[in-house]
Amino acid sequence: MKHPARWVAGGIAVLLVAFSVVLATQVGSDPRADAKKSQLAGKDTPKFRVQSLDGKELTQADLAGKATIVNFWNTWCIPCREEHPELTKFYARHADDPDFVMLGIVRDDTRKAVDRWMQANKDAWTVATDPGGNAALAFGTRGQPETFAISPDGLVVGYQFGPSSAQDLETLLAAARGGTGA
Amino acid sequence: MSAGSRRGWIPWILLGVLVVGVLAWALWPSGGQSDAERARSLAHELRCPDCESLSAADSQTASARAIRRDLHERVAEGQSDATIRRAYVDRYGESILLKPEQGGLGFLVWGLPVLLLVAGAGALLVAFRRWRSAEPLQPTDDDEALVREMRTGEQAS
Repeated sequence: MKHPARWVAGGIAVLLVAFSVVLATQVGSDPRADAKKSQLAGKDTPKFRVQSLDGKELTQADLAGKATIVNFWNTWCIPCREEHPELTKFYARHADDPDFVMLGIVRDDTRKAVDRWMQANKDAWTVATDPGGNAALAFGTRGQPETFAISPDGLVVGYQFGPSSAQDLETLLAAARGGTGA
Repeated sequence: MSAGSRRGWIPWILLGVLVVGVLAWALWPSGGQSDAERARSLAHELRCPDCESLSAADSQTASARAIRRDLHERVAEGQSDATIRRAYVDRYGESILLKPEQGGLGFLVWGLPVLLLVAGAGALLVAFRRWRSAEPLQPTDDDEALVREMRTGEQAS
């Protein structure tokens, strides 16, 4: 090797360029860029256990065989309040469908606040509390509202980060029924 | 190899031993951690999902509390740290990790600084060797004549 120092310097330059590329593409990017998509897409519904407001325990097994919309929400979140009329409108269209279920799971709220909300709004779909936040964790939620579509065979086939419109919910339901993924 | 050149290598060997020792001490998995310590350590590695730039150990949100509880349960079940990290990445994506993973592309983030350090040390070694092996400059006849002339001038004045 005629000029070993040049080779070493060249090697260092190459490593520095590679390091810069990694920093630019990995570390420099928004670490929460993947927050708006669910890692559960295409996977089995995670195991969870929640309690409906009338005291019944619900698990992923109770959703089997039905196209399901799972909506994480709470009473104090403004986007959830904005979303609520859309959920109501959407549910009214499908409430009589025996193969459909909509489950609202309360995320990070008190039972007292939820009871007050239900007295005022009389939501017709199933609402459940999530003691310990285990269901929110199992679904990998980062906030609320977040909505998941689950197919009758238990696969997560759609996800909406943030408030859903009635049309978004129709798209999610179509995905749950075996149409295109949302 | 002469005794002198052997002695010349001793500082380098000592430096190498020191570097390897420090790296081994820093990177070796610490043994004897209790389950609670392991769970706490893992909580420091995971990002709180619903807050900005805080670990699950440092946040007081419901999610962070749920994660801490879940970590305690997983550790008590005997899951390895790698399995637990993988479970969270599967659920939240890579962004749940506050430290990049040590495999795949993440290896570059950890490995490149070490490679650069080694390459820099190699460059210094090459440079020192070249300086040492360079022929000392010999004065030419012109140089000696110039010195003689200057000395003569100094004595005359």
